[in-house]
Amino acid sequence: MHRLLARQIRQSTDEAGQVDMTRLGELVSAAYEESDRDRRRTDRAIKLMIEELEQTHKRAEQDLSQAREFLDSIIENIPIAVFAKDARDSRYILLNRAGEEYYGMPREEMLGRTPEQIFPADLARVVSEQDRRVVESGTPLFLEGHRLEVGVHGHDRVVNSRKLLVRDGNGAPQYLVGVIEDVTERITNQARISHLAHHDALTDLPNRSAFNAALAGRLERAQEASTSFAVLSLDLDRFKDVNDVFGHPVGDMMMRAAAERLVADADGAFVARIGGDEFMILMPDDVRREDVLSLAERLVEAIGNELEVEEFFSHVGLSVGIAVYPHDGEDAATLLANADSALYRAKREGRGRVCFFETEMDRELRDRRLLQHDLRQAVEQNQLLVYFQPQARIDGEIIGFEALVRWDHPTRGFVPPDQFIPLAEENGLIIQIGEWVLREACREAASWPRPLQVAVNLSPVQFQAGDLERSIHQILLETGLAPTRLEVEITEGVLIGDFTRALNLLRRLKALGIRIAMDDFGTGYSSLSYLQSFPFDKIKIDRSFILDLEATPQSAEIVRAVLSLAHALHIPVVAEGVETEAQRAFLEHEACEEMQGYLIGQPEPIEHYFDLIGIKVDCRRYA
Amino acid sequence: MQIQYRHWNAAHGWRGANALREPPQLVLCFGSREGLAGGERYRELRTFYPDSHIVGCSTGGQVHGDDVADDVIVAVALRFARTQVRVVKEAIESREASRVCGMRFARRLAAPDLAGVFVLSEGLNVNGNELIAGITEVLGPGLPVTGGLAGDGARFEQTLVGADGEPQPHCIAAIGFYGASLRFTHGCAGGWDVFGPRRKVTKSDGRVVVELDGEPPLDLYTRYLGEEEAAAMPGSGIAFPLRIHDEAAPERQIVRSVFAVDRNARTLTYAADIPEGCTAQLMRANFDSLAAGAGEAGRQARNALAGEIAGDKLAILVSCTGRRKVMGQRTQDELDAVAAELGDDVTRIGFYSYGEIAPPAATGRCELHNQTMTITMIAEVAA
Repeated sequence: MHRLLARQIRQSTDEAGQVDMTRLGELVSAAYEESDRDRRRTDRAIKLMIEELEQTHKRAEQDLSQAREFLDSIIENIPIAVFAKDARDSRYILLNRAGEEYYGMPREEMLGRTPEQIFPADLARVVSEQDRRVVESGTPLFLEGHRLEVGVHGHDRVVNSRKLLVRDGNGAPQYLVGVIEDVTERITNQARISHLAHHDALTDLPNRSAFNAALAGRLERAQEASTSFAVLSLDLDRFKDVNDVFGHPVGDMMMRAAAERLVADADGAFVARIGGDEFMILMPDDVRREDVLSLAERLVEAIGNELEVEEFFSHVGLSVGIAVYPHDGEDAATLLANADSALYRAKREGRGRVCFFETEMDRELRDRRLLQHDLRQAVEQNQLLVYFQPQARIDGEIIGFEALVRWDHPTRGFVPPDQFIPLAEENGLIIQIGEWVLREACREAASWPRPLQVAVNLSPVQFQAGDLERSIHQILLETGLAPTRLEVEITEGVLIGDFTRALNLLRRLKALGIRIAMDDFGTGYSSLSYLQSFPFDKIKIDRSFILDLEATPQSAEIVRAVLSLAHALHIPVVAEGVETEAQRAFLEHEACEEMQGYLIGQPEPIEHYFDLIGIKVDCRRYA
Repeated sequence: MQIQYRHWNAAHGWRGANALREPPQLVLCFGSREGLAGGERYRELRTFYPDSHIVGCSTGGQVHGDDVADDVIVAVALRFARTQVRVVKEAIESREASRVCGMRFARRLAAPDLAGVFVLSEGLNVNGNELIAGITEVLGPGLPVTGGLAGDGARFEQTLVGADGEPQPHCIAAIGFYGASLRFTHGCAGGWDVFGPRRKVTKSDGRVVVELDGEPPLDLYTRYLGEEEAAAMPGSGIAFPLRIHDEAAPERQIVRSVFAVDRNARTLTYAADIPEGCTAQLMRANFDSLAAGAGEAGRQARNALAGEIAGDKLAILVSCTGRRKVMGQRTQDELDAVAAELGDDVTRIGFYSYGEIAPPAATGRCELHNQTMTITMIAEVAA
């Protein structure tokens, strides 16, 4: 009997043993109902559960399919070839777009096929052998920087490839996954970067760093083998003018042409371009001194021949300095410095020359550097002074002064301007110095009782750099000097650079009321076209012609010619360096308007000329 | 230890075994809310046992021998040979005070030789988890704490707990057993199985689950119960408790029964907190699996009872009213299963509760359960 029924009978039986059938019926019926309810609930739960699990399954499948699509789209679009193969027979089962490009065939031609069915026999053998190795060893295969053996890109592509094994849930080999990355560009770029790092972009010659490396290597070898070798420092003369005259594009072509000539005539020596118009040559070991010299002279001659680029012709020159290991230096720094000293000497001696290093040069060069250093200090410590030299009409009436900079060096005494001005122009200090002189001159002139004019020299460097116009304007405002009292003296060097820019600047200065004088006329090119292109207020005849007036008849003729030219153009002329009454008389006779020179007065501190500027010494002192 | 078993019904009043030779230290009694209300039965017991602690509560049915009965009040009087007993009682003002209340209990009971604690708590206005957390915080997780929440049949209106006084609502009582002779073992099992997909508790607020997988939980239950049975929620919802997965402690068996329903909001309130974001899964059972679960609880408690026992052995069965609701007339199957595991020499008393307290075998950490059979065995070893 069922345990429940037994219990129900017991519960329906009274103490006397009588079974209450009604009670029993109720219990049994209730138990049926409970069972029915439980069964219905169970059936329903199972049905719902199945539905829910199906939904969950469907959702999971959708999620999976989305994730798969997501991954597929990534794999399809990465620019790296990806393939998968069946690990058992190497049949391709996946290939992405980049893979199609690499192999040069649509995936339809590859999927489902083995390497033997796709590639030429020898290649298929290599591929299958790699596959077999990966499957057997289970270790991935990495191949770096090898050439792609197949496909439209062919043999000019360099790739990194890797192949790895994917196992199934039981650890058995299932897939071979491969990745092929095209690194051709990367490798080419690396090579290009490396080349750029060691070569000059314009001439493709080795650059300074490559030269230094070569020199270091050579020194090491020479020290071991006790050999000697020469280092040549070369500088193209007047190359700057080529750029100025023809512009940089043509200048660049000329530079390339010059470099080609150097290489062609260097007999295979190591030629490097180490900056602007500077080159270095490293000669082979143990070349005799006279052979080095003759090579250098050949180079000077080669460069000296007219350079022709397209329809442009130009003359540049070459200066060469030579230092020889070990005689002129046993380390790189000394050798280079001494080759430079020799070069400097060559340039100073008139360019187009070849100089070997001599000990004295070393001293000169050091001295020059020292002076450059001192000059910087001089500016900072106010060692510079402004001197004034009177200018007069030819009849002797004082009309103004030229302001001239002087350097009172604490130990050397007065340093000649022709020594320190070129130095200042080289290192750019001239901008600061020029501005200072201009300001001092204007301030001084502004304080004079007589409204005499003051002339100030401007360096070509000042025209090229900075904002000269603004700076002059500012100084005039500061000092309160009337622009009409200021005269700026320029040499033709100002116009040789960026002609248009210089011309515009001069026009604007003139518009302010400032007068413009052409200085040192008669020396250099003295191109008449300059006189035509700009209405100069004055022409200053160079002192050299005046000094030679009595000695050489040609000088007198030149002076006459300049004067007649100037008069024809209605430009007054100032004669510089007038020292004698005879010179003055000649000039007066030739109708020269103005003069300047020791005859009138030397450059002196302004105190010396107080009477000329119209103040009494006492007044000035206590003003 | 000596035990005297007594029971009362309206027809014949108190009946029971022979009186103990010495006065008992502790009397436990369980009855329906109607049976205990008014204090008549308490006063009668007090006349029988003028010097004993008398502790009891209202229930969802009393275990009376092999039967479950609603109209019988059951009691046991316990005379310990070498064990001391301390009874403490606290009024609980609100659910929020549960943890503090538990800590107060524990401090009053704490002693070096405390061997076990049996708790009878107000069944409705308490946060059972917090109450237990408060107790274990003070006594430490190693001390066995068992017991249950008082019941109110299938009405869920008011529960009563008494300790040396007339049973009252909002009351919690705890009995501390002291001494090395005492054996205090326990077992706890359910017999439920998870089924269907795991669901995310997408929104909840304390005990109230607002959304399961974005769906109002009442809709889910209605689907599973059918419209007809769903009308009988929350009672019928007992058939589908929720298994809560604790990601931090996957072996924890957290089962939560439906406690109340809000038909407007379509939310369900469970017997204890269900944190938002956790994973839940429906559970179900059949008569046999529930009975087997109860047997398992009995086996755990009995197997843990070590040493040579002197005198009688008591088993206090605390089973969930939800189990009774699900099993109906088959409820006795689980009592039979427990009896078979415990053996004939164990006196059984117990009740159907609104929540069971015992450390589960898996973690050993005392917790509040739903839908389980928990068994506490009390005995003394020979001197």
